[in-house]
Amino acid sequence: MKEVKLFLGPQHPGMHGNYSVHMYVDGDIIEKARPTPGFLHRGFEKLMERRHWMGNLALIPRICVPEPDINEFVYAQGIESLAKIEVPEKAHWIRMLVLEMARVMVHLMSLGFIGGPTGMYTATYWAIAQRDLILDLFEELCGARVYHMYIVPGGVRKDLPEGFTDRVLAMMDELEVKIPEYEELILKHPIIHARTKDNIMLPAEVVWELGVTGIGMRSATGEENDLRKVQPYARYDQVEFEVPTATYSDALTRLNLKVREMYQCISIIRQVIDKMPDEGPVNVPVSTGSALRWTVPAGMVYSAVESSRGEYGYFIVSDGKEMPYRIAVRGASFPQGLLGIEKYLKGHRIDDASLWMDTMGVCSPEIDR
Amino acid sequence: MNKIINEIQTTLEPLTIETPAFRQIAVVVKPDAIHNSLAYLRQKGFTQLSIVTCIDWIKDSEMEMVYVLFNWTEGIHIQLRARIDREKPVMVTSTDIFPGARYYEREVHEFFGVEFPGNEDAAKPLLLELWDDLPPLRKDFDSQAYSDSKFPMRERGNEFVSEIGGQNK
Repeated sequence: MKEVKLFLGPQHPGMHGNYSVHMYVDGDIIEKARPTPGFLHRGFEKLMERRHWMGNLALIPRICVPEPDINEFVYAQGIESLAKIEVPEKAHWIRMLVLEMARVMVHLMSLGFIGGPTGMYTATYWAIAQRDLILDLFEELCGARVYHMYIVPGGVRKDLPEGFTDRVLAMMDELEVKIPEYEELILKHPIIHARTKDNIMLPAEVVWELGVTGIGMRSATGEENDLRKVQPYARYDQVEFEVPTATYSDALTRLNLKVREMYQCISIIRQVIDKMPDEGPVNVPVSTGSALRWTVPAGMVYSAVESSRGEYGYFIVSDGKEMPYRIAVRGASFPQGLLGIEKYLKGHRIDDASLWMDTMGVCSPEIDR
Repeated sequence: MNKIINEIQTTLEPLTIETPAFRQIAVVVKPDAIHNSLAYLRQKGFTQLSIVTCIDWIKDSEMEMVYVLFNWTEGIHIQLRARIDREKPVMVTSTDIFPGARYYEREVHEFFGVEFPGNEDAAKPLLLELWDDLPPLRKDFDSQAYSDSKFPMRERGNEFVSEIGGQNK
């Protein structure tokens, strides 16, 4: 049979971000796939070397578009361990609150975007509308909806607004009612079932081969491999939560784990608000005088965080000057987004290709940087 | 963690070993010891390769390869580093130990010009299309000059600017 070359992306309804896959197909089946990143390459790593440590705060959230807070956190955490800054107690709890709200937000978004590859756009509209209400809370917190620049080295920028925690709790109560509705709509829908059940498998051996982390890893191995548990940062060792796992990883399992993680986020947020100290400073001054002359002691550190797609990290190098010497970004979807597509997309049907990228958690901005 | 540090100290005989952050070990070895060290660490439970990257120390005329590994049972990150010559940077591939390193090495080759004998794909272009200059993350790459040469400034008159009310006179 004749082999045909098809292009998925960079502009495609099932594709999140500008990313392209060249597929060589035989009939309906993909014979060979070649990932083609680079459409979104903005040169962040070079740009960061030319900006002051504080100036980078405006740049880094843009690396990962749907989930910007993890960037701010790993950057701040890395600088703090280089400069030996002790973060105030309250700032740790506020950071956890922000990170978990961001996790709910991005899980909602990715759950809704399953509508792109499957054609069920109702899910997208519902989930994005709900996400917007969480963005309203972020707007109240720091004045920005998507790129917050709220977590800074030394703590967080400002204390919580008055009555903010009450509104967060009200939102969590609302989510607890709404998430079962999304489950009805998305996870129990016959169309989604037909497309995702026993399809797009991720065996445990492949996880170790590629280096997949996050939900992909936990859904296949059944181990609680979550950085929040294994290497607790902030105050995650003082809250109780479960890490949902599974031992059979098809696309539906991974979607289910996303929903179960959202329930855990809600529980964590409630505990955080309960245990957060009322009083106390939320940041320590990191510089005396102008932030433009602020330097970080020389050294190299790797700082990592559990994002919604897995381990996300920065390798930060300082030579003691006003600007970073080098920052390398470890995108959580780098392993599955490049080698994963090349090796394991073949054998799937054409219409499952975008579903594959979606449920594996391939996010092009963090591959391209 | 001290046990792991002691084991690394005796087995790998690193040049330096330190703990830069919470649950993190930084090990510097000689470049020809990288392959053995990776194999040893992988066998010791550091089964995940988090990132492979490179640093350009232009003043010392050296490149520094960095491998960050993670141990999921102990929760420890390890940075394995080695300095190589900057003029002819060559590092043996680690894809036979960590298959996931393939694209990281391709990226490092593209942005720093490091050669990886053993990785056939390493020299293929990945993110930068039709790149014809120095590898861009090297410190001597001048992005301003590159931009000026590739995208020449256009002479712009003021034909687009109209004074207030000028058009409707």
